[in-house]
Amino acid sequence: MRYAFFPGCTLESAAAELMISTKKVASALGIELIELEGWTCCGATHLQDVDEQLALAINARNIALAEQLNAPLLTVCNTCTLMLRTAKKTLDENLQLKEITNQRLSSANVEYQGTSEVTHLLWALIQDYGLENLRAKVKRPLKGLKVANFYGCHIIRPQEVLGFENHMNPRSMEMVVEALGAESVEFSQRLACCGFHAVFPAEKEVMRLTALNCLSPKKAGAHCIVTPCPLCQMQLDMYQPDAQKGCRDNITMPVLHLPQLIGLALGFEPEELAINRHIVDAIPVLRQHIGVI
Amino acid sequence: MENITFRIRRYDGTNTWVQEYRLPYEKGKTILWALTKIKDEIDPTLNFTSACRHAICGSCGVKVNGHAFLACKTSLDKLLETFDTSVLYFEPLGNYDVVRDLVVDWKPKMEKMKKIKPWLLPSREGSIEEGFRQSKQQFAKISSSTDCILCGICASECGQLAINDGGYLEPFIINKAYRFAVDSRDNAPEEHIRPVLENELWKCIHCMQCVSKCPKEIPLTDEIAYLRKETMKMGEVHNQGARHAYAFYHDVKKWGRLNEMTLPIKTDGMVTTLRKRIPFAYRMIVKGKINPLRLPKAVKGIKGVRKIYQQVEEESKS
Ligand code: SF4
Ligand code: SF4
Ligand code: FES
Repeated sequence: MRYAFFPGCTLESAAAELMISTKKVASALGIELIELEGWTCCGATHLQDVDEQLALAINARNIALAEQLNAPLLTVCNTCTLMLRTAKKTLDENLQLKEITNQRLSSANVEYQGTSEVTHLLWALIQDYGLENLRAKVKRPLKGLKVANFYGCHIIRPQEVLGFENHMNPRSMEMVVEALGAESVEFSQRLACCGFHAVFPAEKEVMRLTALNCLSPKKAGAHCIVTPCPLCQMQLDMYQPDAQKGCRDNITMPVLHLPQLIGLALGFEPEELAINRHIVDAIPVLRQHIGVI
Repeated sequence: MENITFRIRRYDGTNTWVQEYRLPYEKGKTILWALTKIKDEIDPTLNFTSACRHAICGSCGVKVNGHAFLACKTSLDKLLETFDTSVLYFEPLGNYDVVRDLVVDWKPKMEKMKKIKPWLLPSREGSIEEGFRQSKQQFAKISSSTDCILCGICASECGQLAINDGGYLEPFIINKAYRFAVDSRDNAPEEHIRPVLENELWKCIHCMQCVSKCPKEIPLTDEIAYLRKETMKMGEVHNQGARHAYAFYHDVKKWGRLNEMTLPIKTDGMVTTLRKRIPFAYRMIVKGKINPLRLPKAVKGIKGVRKIYQQVEEESKS
């Protein structure tokens, strides 16, 4: 299995641990990730507020770069997935716009054809790799670990763009988590938004939301949250101390990236997956429940 | 499956409780069929609203298993399949005051709607006597937004409304502002747009609930992006939302990537960033999450990216 890998800006900076863990896990599973040379930021749902045609063109360029590699484009970020798939859907369904966009891209010597799919690691594991194959690679079954799957919006909504599973009752995270031997916990905020995209203009509200998003899995008995999106991870982890200030209950919840959870099951130690980089220390619960060092 | 169990949240004005009803399964029925059958045959005290039964009046919005639906349009089979269950939990729409059982209070929302002047502020190109002509293209601009049936489903699901103190506008109100702002017969788009800006337009959290749940498939989040763009054209660029969006715009042009180190400064300004974000930055640096010394390098092919920018900019000017 070979993918054109689109890391997205956060993997280069504040979520570098996701880059580390994704690469480790991919190579242990035998998945080849070729980082796209010259990829640009997807615009993260902000660029279209200034110019939606520009957001479309730069993502068409990103996909076109993957097409040059003759490989599907794979991301590990929900919002990158949304932006790239929105561009792809728009262009594939509107030939006139595709032509106009290609005129724009021609000045950069690239052409969008529509030949590369855009997928997310979570989906690729189920659709391409196969849960049985994943299960066969597990060296340290995560038995005893209760996990709260926090999907994040942009891997399920809007359904017409993401479309991998039913947005009202997705199961992909549960399927992967169970293949790793961990137990999924049902909690009320499972399909909630993390609020990351409005953390500047709506700080007070988003902190309230963060507190709620930590408290809900905690009350349901989860030992940690796991998410397929680095932006959700950042919002729930980095801002947790700020969210705690406005909340009487103790909201402490470690938050892992999906590849980190997979990496633990593949036998890596937390430091190898850079789990020590999180603001809320996840290592004590991992020690207690799955016996990592 | 022989029976479907309906667990309905009841409210009599004082007390809240959950009541259970059971109906034999019948193929091809809607949520509204079930509610009507319960009221007609089991419990006449159950309150809900519905009028047209044809997805036109917007009065039958209800929440089932945590998601809002139009009762007359949604098939029970689809719900049973989606949630893989024979037990359905009914609640009134979220983010509304409840009057009785599944009936919610629309009055405060309609009062709020007035802020955006949800009516035509007509241009001089027509008159009441002669009417206002509109070309096909002009109509196309409003055709989707005028589909709104005011069912309130978007408002029920809105992630920002759920955590807001009351200042944020319901997505259907934003839609209504958009609808009049882009109408060729309206002469004063700013009068519809400015109130949206002043009522926390930039606080939308991009949760995509409104656009995913709207039974009329109105592209509400695209409308929000459009309204934001218009406010910036009106010169409203000195707020956190606009500055944040422009930070992405300029960074991608300059490097192809976002510079997360300078993003807070560009969004909040240096003074606020220093005042507010030092403890935050400190804990990030200690954990090695950010490196303040890292400078972005322009991506391979940046010249091409800038040419794309140039071209799109020129086109939008012409
Ligand atoms: S995308 Fe914005 S307007 Fe729509 S439901 Fe979410 S917060 Fe509300
Ligand atoms: S925008 Fe859609 S969901 Fe919202 S009230 Fe109108 S029809 Fe209902
Ligand atoms: S009864 Fe009118 S929309 Fe459902």
